[in-house]
Amino acid sequence: MLFALLLTLAVPTDWVPARWHWLETKTLELISGTPVNCLLVDWDPRQKTQAAAFAGAAAERGIATLAVIRPGGDPAEPARDAIRAKLTGVVLEGDFSPDATERVRAAVSPAPIIELTLRSRMPLGSKAPVIGTWQGVWPGIPVMEDGAAKAGPSGSPWINTNAGFLRAARAFGDSIVWIANSPPPKSVVTAENYAQVIGDAAMVGARWVVALDDDLTRRLHEGDKPALQVWSRITRQLQFYEAHQDWRAFRTYAKLAVIQGVNNGALLSGGILDMIGARHTPVRAVPPDRLRPDTLAGASMAVNVDAASLTPQQREVLKAFTRSGGTLLTGPADWKESAVPDKDKITLDDKQTKRLDDIWHDINSMIGRGNLGARLFNVSSMLSNLLTSTDGKQVLVHLVNYSSYPVDNVTVHVLGDFHRAWLYTPETPEKKLDVYKVDEGTGVDIDLVNVSAALRLE
Amino acid sequence: MTRRELLALLSAAPVALKAAPDAPTAPVSIAKCAAYNDDVTATLGTMFDQIGGLERIVKGKTVTIKLNLTGSPGLRLQGRPLGVTHYTHPKLVGATAYLMGRAGAKRIRFVESGWALSGPLEEYMLDSGWNVRSLASAAPGVEFENTNNLGKGKRYARLKVPGTPYMYPAFDLNHAFEDTDVFVSMAKLKNHETCGVTLSLKNCFGNTPASIYGDNSGVDEPNEKPTSGRGAVCHAGERQPSRSAPQEIHFGANHDAGYRVPHIVADIVAARPVDLAIIDGIESMAGGEGPWIRSKPLRLVQPGVLIAGTNPVTSDAVATAVMGYNPRADRGTSPFQTCDNTLLLAERHGIGTTDLKRIEVVGVPIAQALYKYEA
Repeated sequence: MLFALLLTLAVPTDWVPARWHWLETKTLELISGTPVNCLLVDWDPRQKTQAAAFAGAAAERGIATLAVIRPGGDPAEPARDAIRAKLTGVVLEGDFSPDATERVRAAVSPAPIIELTLRSRMPLGSKAPVIGTWQGVWPGIPVMEDGAAKAGPSGSPWINTNAGFLRAARAFGDSIVWIANSPPPKSVVTAENYAQVIGDAAMVGARWVVALDDDLTRRLHEGDKPALQVWSRITRQLQFYEAHQDWRAFRTYAKLAVIQGVNNGALLSGGILDMIGARHTPVRAVPPDRLRPDTLAGASMAVNVDAASLTPQQREVLKAFTRSGGTLLTGPADWKESAVPDKDKITLDDKQTKRLDDIWHDINSMIGRGNLGARLFNVSSMLSNLLTSTDGKQVLVHLVNYSSYPVDNVTVHVLGDFHRAWLYTPETPEKKLDVYKVDEGTGVDIDLVNVSAALRLE
Repeated sequence: MTRRELLALLSAAPVALKAAPDAPTAPVSIAKCAAYNDDVTATLGTMFDQIGGLERIVKGKTVTIKLNLTGSPGLRLQGRPLGVTHYTHPKLVGATAYLMGRAGAKRIRFVESGWALSGPLEEYMLDSGWNVRSLASAAPGVEFENTNNLGKGKRYARLKVPGTPYMYPAFDLNHAFEDTDVFVSMAKLKNHETCGVTLSLKNCFGNTPASIYGDNSGVDEPNEKPTSGRGAVCHAGERQPSRSAPQEIHFGANHDAGYRVPHIVADIVAARPVDLAIIDGIESMAGGEGPWIRSKPLRLVQPGVLIAGTNPVTSDAVATAVMGYNPRADRGTSPFQTCDNTLLLAERHGIGTTDLKRIEVVGVPIAQALYKYEA
């Protein structure tokens, strides 16, 4: 029965998840015609009957339902109950012991289990179709008390983002990564903010688990029109990224590699990958245990964050890289210290930030004005990601704008000769753009970016 | 403020400095222009005609236009485009290039010492959201030069301060300031934290290359990859510029930025005279010169005016009055509460008069263009 039911649902790697606060079947109308196809429902044993009815109605529409179980007691029992109530699977959200996770797995097999755990305990590199965490920063440009944007070392506004962490997490394996952080409490979350948090994850191939703030949840339930408009904006943003599944097969295109492991900051937000990302220098994350000649193929520069942690074989790979003309920058000896995220902290502390400043100067000097895949202009309020198709004939530049205002006149200089370019945005149909030659290869001008845009060249 | 109050304010003379009776004067044009989408080119063309015509100034000449692109392009006021807050707007720049090309300019070279810029100015402009390709095609012979270092030049030009300099006997500048027939200062109508106002005179503070006058300039020789502002050398007088350049005359005598910067600006403009001043007051900001200012509240303003003249002191005097200030106000009086008045210092150098009674205003009268910058 369960197997037959699953056949009608998308596979977990294609799930577009949202936290759902309601068990009324009429609320399923909200996701009708949207990409959302997986609902995370807080499991409450007292609502077993309603949950079963809801899960049944959802399944009829091809929508998966996952029971969210949090630490406290034996998780196997509620997990078993949830599956008996015909929910599709289970989400273990929190810091569960490996034993507890295994008990749940045994109790609900073959139903899928998705772990939303600490960043440091994500099963990176595993065969799990989906891995995830609830730990995330809320993306955006932080504003100081006087209303001014907080600036980074480059003089540009600093952007809070999960993109660097997600790049690193994805580099460990092929799992789809879910980031399931919630909106900050007691703050106004605009439609733009929701579009930004979706784009922040999607541009690096991850998915944000849609989580609405309390006020929007309440108003949406009441059918409030402005709330419905915000919801429409959210689903349109999801649609923008889900409509181009082929882009998910594109790989990172970057001549700069950062070799960084779990123990030296790869899973922290605001670290090296984010700093390089803020400079719009295309970068590929390379975990040390994936350091092989093929993972450095095409790279001309590399940053080795913690030289001491490499095995002799890994050092040999880097030696070969430098012997073949690659430039290697090694991080300071004490970088490794306390660079692992813990239960409460996923960003750098002051001491680590100071250390990052030091290494940043070296990275900045090494990169200079070089084009390591693409150079972007007038993008200080944005982050980007450069990808290429498997045949190398196309490149794709994802752009996400974190400012409250649209940005006009963005210029992109891509390495290589490209003859055609198209712009994709959530708001408008795809648009062909003019390309022109520049010293580095090909130039393209984009008139306007609201929150998200993707530029494809071939 | 009524017109009568304005006129009373404008005729008030400061106690310390009397108007220089023989300082030259020149007409200043004021025009209303509500938005950058209005016909800026036509408005500016009329203004140039009102001050004697552009052709007589630029025909067959190399023209160097100093823009105001202060601060990193990444720093924006409330996320707004730079041109509507603290940079000269690209539409005004494009209109100027077009008109100069039409008037027969042989070469139009846009220059600026961009913040921490050692690469091409074009990339700084791209980062500012400018369409450089459009600007380059606005007229024949358009060029760009980063004057924060040697730029495309092979040596620095030494420009001497005539008469009795206040701070420096001469300045070592990018070649563009010497290799030109006409020098234009294109400024923004703004307050300035250190100098009270920043107009066509103060804009020239940016003529100085950070490679020599910057905080991380070389002790002996210029640092061609400057990454900082001019705080230590110019604002605070904590160190001298690179020894390869003329040194500060009374080094160590004064560390007050409110004294130093206005005096340095007056010296710079004496050394590199301004032939045409254009001040962008269509949209701007009040309270300071950029979004990094913390000492006063900043706000977006829309004065809706353009100001142009062939004398930077007369132009700035009129612009200061349009902002609701007395251009002859002494230190201690708004907007010069904590600084010396750059306009008066330039007047004492004999560059131009600040006396509004001696300045012919053409186009829109000051009283009609008045836009109070003090809230």
